[in-house]
Amino acid sequence: MFLVSYEFPAFLMALLVLYYLIPGRFQWMLLLAASCVFYAQGGVFYLIYPMVTTMTTWLLAVAMGNMTDRSRAWVRENNPGREEKKEHNRQVKRRQRRLMTLGLLLNFGILAVLKYFHFFLDNVNALLGFMGAEGEFVCGNWILPLGISYYTFQSMGYLMDVYYRKYDPERNPARFALFVSFFPQLVAGPISRYDQMRDQLYTSRRFSARSVRYGAVRMLWGYFKKLVIADRLGPAVVMIISSPEIYDGVYVLWGMIGYTVWMYADFAGGMDIVLGAAQMFGIRLPENFERPFFSKSLGQFWRRWHMSLMLWLREYIFYPASTSRFSAKTAKLAAKFLGRKAGGKIPVYIATMTVWLTAGIWHGASWNFVVWGLANGTVLLISQELTGWYRKFGEFCPFSRTRWYEVFQILRTCILFAWLEMFEYYPFRTVFAMSKSLFTSLGTPRTGDGRFEALGLMGADLGILAAGIVFMAAVSALQRRESVRDRLERRPVLVQYGVVFGLFLLVLVTGVYGHGYDVSQFIYNQF
Amino acid sequence: MKSRKLLWLGILLPVSAAILGACQNLLVPKYMGRVIEGAFIREYYEETEPHDVIFLGDCEAYENVSPIVLWREYGITSFIRGSAQQLIPQSYYLLEDTLTYETPAVVVLSVSAMQQYEQDNETYNRMTLDGMRWSASKVNAIRESMTEDEHMIEYVFPILRFHSRWRELEEDDFTYFLERREVTHSGYYMRADIRPAGEFPAERRRSTYAFDDRAWAYLDKIRLLCREKGITLILMKAPSLYPAWHEQWDQQIRDYAKEHQLLYVNCIDRSEDIGIDFTVDTYDGGLHMNVYGAEKTARYLGKILAELPAAKDRREADGGGPVNRVWEEKCRFYDQMKAAQEAEFEELGYLRQFAEEPAD
Amino acid sequence: MEELIEILEDINPEVDYGACENLVDDGILTSFELVLLVTQINDSFGVSIPPTWIVPENFNSAAAMFRMIRRLEEGE
Repeated sequence: MFLVSYEFPAFLMALLVLYYLIPGRFQWMLLLAASCVFYAQGGVFYLIYPMVTTMTTWLLAVAMGNMTDRSRAWVRENNPGREEKKEHNRQVKRRQRRLMTLGLLLNFGILAVLKYFHFFLDNVNALLGFMGAEGEFVCGNWILPLGISYYTFQSMGYLMDVYYRKYDPERNPARFALFVSFFPQLVAGPISRYDQMRDQLYTSRRFSARSVRYGAVRMLWGYFKKLVIADRLGPAVVMIISSPEIYDGVYVLWGMIGYTVWMYADFAGGMDIVLGAAQMFGIRLPENFERPFFSKSLGQFWRRWHMSLMLWLREYIFYPASTSRFSAKTAKLAAKFLGRKAGGKIPVYIATMTVWLTAGIWHGASWNFVVWGLANGTVLLISQELTGWYRKFGEFCPFSRTRWYEVFQILRTCILFAWLEMFEYYPFRTVFAMSKSLFTSLGTPRTGDGRFEALGLMGADLGILAAGIVFMAAVSALQRRESVRDRLERRPVLVQYGVVFGLFLLVLVTGVYGHGYDVSQFIYNQF
Repeated sequence: MKSRKLLWLGILLPVSAAILGACQNLLVPKYMGRVIEGAFIREYYEETEPHDVIFLGDCEAYENVSPIVLWREYGITSFIRGSAQQLIPQSYYLLEDTLTYETPAVVVLSVSAMQQYEQDNETYNRMTLDGMRWSASKVNAIRESMTEDEHMIEYVFPILRFHSRWRELEEDDFTYFLERREVTHSGYYMRADIRPAGEFPAERRRSTYAFDDRAWAYLDKIRLLCREKGITLILMKAPSLYPAWHEQWDQQIRDYAKEHQLLYVNCIDRSEDIGIDFTVDTYDGGLHMNVYGAEKTARYLGKILAELPAAKDRREADGGGPVNRVWEEKCRFYDQMKAAQEAEFEELGYLRQFAEEPAD
Repeated sequence: MEELIEILEDINPEVDYGACENLVDDGILTSFELVLLVTQINDSFGVSIPPTWIVPENFNSAAAMFRMIRRLEEGE
């Protein structure tokens, strides 16, 4: 079942009624059942994959938990000396690490095979071809289980958390299954942490008209972003970026801006739907976006875009990698050549690039995404190195303290991000060719030569799109000081009704859905 | 506080429904311009007097027989419940629907729809089904003929299907916001222009000429329903030159008619008897009759119908009553439109209303 | 403590480490800088900060960091 479909709101409404009618202690069971039904819509067979991940993770986590309990009991009973205790702990940790590694290998392995096998094969074939071999390996295509990247990362995060003893493992397999498969976040995230969810998922939720109201309005806002803006913009953008030979010059700029706005409207819109839906059940999922286009640096941007993934990468790859013994050794080695300070940076740089390599690969099984990830990482490292220079510049130049400079920073960040996105959709060399063409052929006509008309965005559609984007930006700007929904709550009932009903009508009438339209599902769904 | 909230709800809910209803009324196609076929089905419900003969079927039903001639020359009351590319199952459910309002003496079914059971373009589905009043028949008709990408809820709330018309709204959408004008003559689609029949491309041979089993199933259902209600069922093939009505198909219908003792009128075979002249009796080069051809076909069919005991001459029986009055009005409307179309065709060589939009 | 302040100033000289209590929460120290900090602390103080200890409670202020270092030195 897709989030954008006739079935989903119906499913949600029926579920809500049931949810608030049954006694609180059964609510989580209902959610689990609903999540299974939701997932099974894509094919009952595919339920196997999240089930395997759920069972293995639950088992291994419980096993680790038991070891921890036994270890603590042993310590209490035997009251060992410091060295003895350290040795004991080390052994327990080592055994637990084996269990965790087993879980990681198995589940990431499943993900790797399912998602990256064809990519791997393509590269093997390319290599063989390069070496002069004839023929190639072929393998039939398969469908990726829905949401596999998200629930795998979420479960593996949990497994690692249990290893690090952040909290005790969940002993009830059904309750754990709900954490893995909670339907609003199953398909496109956000990636949650178990301790964030535990206090909400399993406790009884009382009906709150406010939560339902807020959730519903948030969902409506998400549908607006998705159906009015993203689905309207998408086909035109795809047309531009698929034919760089035709769409050069100023169209490169439209493509850049269009792609970025499209990604945002689609993904953030999806998140509004997901979080709004969860809120109607009284559950707060973590935010994935925080007004990213108001960031003043690329680093800040990545702390505000797809936040749950970035946090996951930071927590489970960046921190452990850069503070590992391997890192320490690398630092010492590098220090011999570069001095202590610079040497200390090397492992952090390596860890950063590893994170960005992962981020790239996570987005897609192709070299485009790998390059994109590494490009972002490179830019971030460069700007990290330049921090010192920026500070000096700030001291000397009074302009840097003005509001205009902030605006400049924001624009610069948006353009930088949009430019980096080109690595996702253009082949490597084309990125630079297109960037050059942007400056050299800027004066190409925008209309009249048929290129603009071919995009299919004329007249009223273009107007709605532009107005919609302005509206979206305005709401985002308003959110800086106070949530727009809170502001709306304070207005008279008639105003609230007008705004919400007006938005509903806007989505209903101008939304890109139904007949004659391709219902393009969320782009991030394929992950 | 709670009662106040309830009061607001009590006001805003109906207001919202009204606004949504108004938007829907605005956005659904009115079928009052160039393409009027979508307006046909709903016109039946405006009828006040019963009919002795009901026609069912696609364009071969609504373009080839003139009910006004049936009345004028035989006193037979009839209505054509035809629509664009009406499928056999849709004909069945339309019959079911009609029977909740009246029981005619005769049902004439155009059999050309037997060659294609499934709908290829959902636009035709909308033109046939949107006009039906809500009933179990309508629900079943939708379910049976829905294409893969259609949803029942889009029929319940047509705004979901037609919302994208917001950017193509025309004057008609406002003019006919609440009410439509009459466009057919007891379901007949009038064209008084002429385009003589020309050459047709050779039809490619098919792998099979057998009709779909489901089509047979629904034909049986129609036959049985007619038998149950004591209605005489007549199968008809309209006089059209193209697409070709293959001999293999004709054979199957003849066999079926023989097996179940039904009358089968193949107007192509009898076109000489009917007196059809394909140089003046067609408006689109031989695919469909124009009004002249339709009148001739009606005259011929009328003779057959008049011999059936159930189809009465209602002129005398009614004796200046409501039936006569209603049909007088129909005749007047018919003559008026015919004269107007004839004059326009004389002057322009084509009919403005149905002319293709000039390419930009 | 002074050694710690020295390291901190080296990373970001603009902050008053005596007063500020929201180094992480307010994003004054980015995750990159945090990690640099961790490696340098590890190096200077001979401790090994586990990655799970890189949380706001331990790094929001110089004082919190110092307490953390002490705990590590005492061998938790």
